[in-house]
Amino acid sequence: MKKVIMGNHAVSYGVRLARAEVISAYPITPQTQIVEMLSEFCSDGSLNARFIKVESEHSAMAAVVGASSVGARAFTATSSQGLLLMHEMLHWAAGARLPIVLANVNRAVGPGWNVWTDQSDSLSQRDTGWLQIYCESNQEALDTVIQAFKIAETVRLPVMMVLDAFILSHTEEPVDVPAQEQVDAFLPRYETEWRLDPDDPRAFNMLVAPEHYMEMRLQMQQAMDEAMGVVAAVDEEFGAHFGRRYGLVEPYAMEGAETVLLTAGATTSTARVVVDALRSEGHRVGLVKQRLFRPYPAAELRRLLGQAKKVGVIDRNISYGHEGIFASELKAALYDLPSRPQVFDFVVGLGGRDVTPATIRGIADYVLGHDAPGLEPVWWEVKP
Amino acid sequence: MSYAIPERELMDSGHVGCPGCGAALAMRLALKAVGDDVVVLIVASCWSIIAGPFPYSSLRVPTLHTAFETGGSAASGVKAALEMRGRPHTTVMTWAGDGGTFDIGFQALSGAVERNEDFIYVCYDNEAYMNTGIQRSSATPLGAWTTTTPVGTPKDTPKKDMVAIMAAHGIPYTATASVAYPEDLVRKLQKAQGIRGSKFIHILAPCPSGWKSEPAETIKISRLAVQSKIFPLYEVEGGRKWRITVRPPEVPVIEYMRRQGRFSHLSNAQIEAIQHNVDEHWAELVAKAEQ
Amino acid sequence: MKSKHSMPKPAAPDAPITFASLAEMPPLPVSLGSTLNNKTGTWRYIRPFYEDRTPPCSYACPAGNDVVHYIGALRDGDPEAAWRILVAENPLPGVCGRVCPHPCERECNRREFGGAIAIHALERFLADEAAAHGWTIGAGPARRPERIAIVGSGPAGLSCAYHLARLGYEPTVYEAESQPGGLLRYGIPAYRLPKDVLDREIAAIERLGVRFALNRRLGDNLAWPELAAADAVFLATGQGASRPLQVPGEGAAGVIAGLDFLRRVATGKSLGTVAGSKAIVIGGGNTAIDAARTALRLGASVTVVYRRTEAEMPAIAGEVAEARAEGVAFRFLAAPAQVLAEGGQVRSVRFQEMRLGAPDASGRARPEPVPGHEFILPADWVIVAAGQELDPAPLQGAGIPVEHGRIRAGEAAETGVARVFAGGDAATGEGTVAQAIGSGKRAALAIDHYLRTGSTEGLVLPQGRAAHATPRNAAEAVVRPADLNADYITPEPAPELEAWAPPQMVGNFAEVNAGLAGQAAAREAARCISCGTCISCDTCLIFCPDVAIAHAEGGRYAIAYDYCKGCGICATECPRSALHMEEEGQ
Repeated sequence: MKKVIMGNHAVSYGVRLARAEVISAYPITPQTQIVEMLSEFCSDGSLNARFIKVESEHSAMAAVVGASSVGARAFTATSSQGLLLMHEMLHWAAGARLPIVLANVNRAVGPGWNVWTDQSDSLSQRDTGWLQIYCESNQEALDTVIQAFKIAETVRLPVMMVLDAFILSHTEEPVDVPAQEQVDAFLPRYETEWRLDPDDPRAFNMLVAPEHYMEMRLQMQQAMDEAMGVVAAVDEEFGAHFGRRYGLVEPYAMEGAETVLLTAGATTSTARVVVDALRSEGHRVGLVKQRLFRPYPAAELRRLLGQAKKVGVIDRNISYGHEGIFASELKAALYDLPSRPQVFDFVVGLGGRDVTPATIRGIADYVLGHDAPGLEPVWWEVKP
Repeated sequence: MSYAIPERELMDSGHVGCPGCGAALAMRLALKAVGDDVVVLIVASCWSIIAGPFPYSSLRVPTLHTAFETGGSAASGVKAALEMRGRPHTTVMTWAGDGGTFDIGFQALSGAVERNEDFIYVCYDNEAYMNTGIQRSSATPLGAWTTTTPVGTPKDTPKKDMVAIMAAHGIPYTATASVAYPEDLVRKLQKAQGIRGSKFIHILAPCPSGWKSEPAETIKISRLAVQSKIFPLYEVEGGRKWRITVRPPEVPVIEYMRRQGRFSHLSNAQIEAIQHNVDEHWAELVAKAEQ
Repeated sequence: MKSKHSMPKPAAPDAPITFASLAEMPPLPVSLGSTLNNKTGTWRYIRPFYEDRTPPCSYACPAGNDVVHYIGALRDGDPEAAWRILVAENPLPGVCGRVCPHPCERECNRREFGGAIAIHALERFLADEAAAHGWTIGAGPARRPERIAIVGSGPAGLSCAYHLARLGYEPTVYEAESQPGGLLRYGIPAYRLPKDVLDREIAAIERLGVRFALNRRLGDNLAWPELAAADAVFLATGQGASRPLQVPGEGAAGVIAGLDFLRRVATGKSLGTVAGSKAIVIGGGNTAIDAARTALRLGASVTVVYRRTEAEMPAIAGEVAEARAEGVAFRFLAAPAQVLAEGGQVRSVRFQEMRLGAPDASGRARPEPVPGHEFILPADWVIVAAGQELDPAPLQGAGIPVEHGRIRAGEAAETGVARVFAGGDAATGEGTVAQAIGSGKRAALAIDHYLRTGSTEGLVLPQGRAAHATPRNAAEAVVRPADLNADYITPEPAPELEAWAPPQMVGNFAEVNAGLAGQAAAREAARCISCGTCISCDTCLIFCPDVAIAHAEGGRYAIAYDYCKGCGICATECPRSALHMEEEGQ
């Protein structure tokens, strides 16, 4: 049924449809509406779940780790400072191989306090062992929540789905909210052998000596490798059930493209408009939306971008002392191609600085007008 | 003269607790008390190691090792999930040291018991961060040596009164217990098990390695702690009703302290001051119990 | 996702788990087995072990009573089992429970925790229960053919006969008097030892096949050749002769040896007028007190005169106190100097006052006369109870060595004369019933050894001090209060034992001491700490941090040495010193 809802509420509907059993979250702008609506759902009985109103985000992740360890479907949501406070426990959830789903509303990190969108919070967690999926729209947010549980429960790794602060989280868009029976047919009840069970008592997450630890980490890497295929398969299956599919990456206007823009999240929608304009002016400019960040879809990106001459990467983040993270990882993925494009890195829109069509047009013109990038990323539209 | 405690063992030999470890005995007795329909969460502490390395475990009950600060929070999730998955009567028992309870885990504990989560939180207290090598915690008693409160500057603040703090939260049940009084310990844990809501049990667990005491005297020292009123045995219901559960013969604190190297640097005047404090606290406890 | 059912399992609960490949590893850190594979016993350098130690009561008992075990059986609610443990060592518990000065109680560790256990009362209780319930001792093993002659049916002779019968012999006991019992019948008055109690215990001995030849006096109508015909002889003739006063006038009528006096009363022989008379008893031992309290009951007014002070009196303190309560007067630091008579009949005694000087050979202060200080007490009777000695006459002609007033006998009761053994007061002069019982038992074991091996050498008497027919597994070390864990022992007072003081003493020989009945006896048994003797209290088991102590067969415990780290908590906490530590590798 179609509703016009904000991104946060789309997530809440997704969580209800996925029949999450234990939810634990701590409020933080701009995530609050997710958990407020879920509280309503629990209170009115439309969602049969326990909602643990913890006293911090670290406790929120610990609580869902506890719940998932018993074999219940668990969910949390956070942003920015809250995600950072969870950092230890993000590692814990992945190392414990728990299929937890977390909705992160991408928000800048303080100090100074900044509640607006950028990608710093989620990307600073890229090494924790969580899958990361970046959503472009409220519809995609709802759909990705449902997909996330299936992916997580298949590969036994936690999944972080990401949506932009305010631009998606607080902006209402039309969203097709599927029927419960449809979702039940797609996503069965979570069952697992590896759980806390008084009828089969075992200890979990104890000391692991060097002689075994490395193999366990290898198993996590192998699960990530497997996850690549699972994300694709689940998306395909979702498409068959619901008529919407998103892929790991999405090419847009890529036929014969010599210059390609790489985006993630809501800026992708803005970039589509710009690329349409550029094409209408005869420029061979295309767009690749990177939806999946972890595991890193290297093969897909090499296939789509290997033949381009130039790539302009919109990084709404910075890894201090180096460069924008999407660009950095792309360059590494393209490194051993016999011929590869020039990669231009643009640090854009930190702390919610608006990324408008003009911004992206300016970036595209820059790429078109330069043969090669410099060594440093270009910080776009900062004061001189 | 057999003891009125359950016979069944739920802990195996071969664990790596030090000889004479009070914490090891505390777990053994606690598991006897609560039985096998339990999930135990072990917070980062000596017991994270004592339980044994992968792929082994010393405990015959489901056990979740968990991060240092998460004794209250992880247990909340476990309990919620057990209820959702049809096991509402399974006991959830957090097993945390003094570090994970008094200090780094304090927030999560306070949060969990403020929500009156239905679980038993057991703090086994060896009065310092023993697993990392005997550093002070807020459970370290006044005057004690630790590696971060060396003899020149021993602990200069009194031990935090966790039971009073738990009582101030108004939780259904909180109590102190001692491995030297196993029947009292078992009774309290079983009582806790039968109450819905948050229960906090504070067990003094002597550590020969950290207290610089004889391993053979762990029980004797536990008993002296109770007899000297340094660690009296009492319970509090609903944060209001205090009851002393063991009234042992009177013993001066020096009898307890002289058996532990961590107090050997104290002067007579300092010990007298400690005795005075203990006497005052005891009088306050007796007054609360008589209301 | 790998299934937990595909994971490797240990071959046995204590076998290690290994992984040959990644495929065998679980996908997350999870346990697949127990820490039982980790044999932490390798950590220790000292180890605990169970070993019963000797409790002070058993150690002190001259009869060799297994005190700790019979009290333990009574505590466990099985008085018949308790009685059987008791009579395995001692056939006369009804006697000992009444007349023994109970050195066990002097040594009892409970005296530091509220008061010694009333062991003698429990011994008596069991004997009385046996009588009430008709418990009997079973017949011994198959009959042995050797003939054994025992001379004297006092406690030494009775004990020897009893233990020989339990070993399968059928000894003959020769007794000079018309009834068996020796001093038990003729020396100890009925108000201390009712004769029906004595008769019952002697009858039980007789039922085991012991034959009594009464009215047979050695040197009179019993001659050596008859004894020599036996395969072994045990001489237990006691010290039936009284030492004379050796003062002028002691031959007068009315001067009588204490033992003679008591025997006449016991046999109902006429003494003459005692009622209304004045009786003086010379001496400070049990015979003196027995005679004094007996004379009182015959209506005399009685004064006991002793040459030292009350503190040095060898008599049982409780007896002295009862005598005083009954109305016997006492006079100390006085010795008889002369018996004054008229017409051959005693009229008075002149006494020399004494003072205490340097100690003599017995360790007691030697009394010295105080010159110029004398006094006279009127007397109708002078009862002399100043010591007993062996009558050597019957032994002459048989070559039995007599030295210092005693038959010379060794550790194994051997006299050096072939086939002849000696014990009891006649050989040891120790003077108590319990010592005589122990002596007789030792002799029985020695005789049995001799008859089997032909030698008096090589007999091993366990525990040394008192031989045991049933050896106990206990190390020599005697448990003292410092060996116990006082944290487990709550001081509890000893029970008051009633003594019955009749309003009318004259003619009243009813038993004076009430003892402990039923519930009171069980409560008193529960007060016993069981020093050195494991009673499966579970303390060691409960306090082991390594779960290394478990119940084993026979109510005891097994230590899992594969895991025991040697912390020593178990041995420290054991309330009763039955669990100890030793260095590893010993």
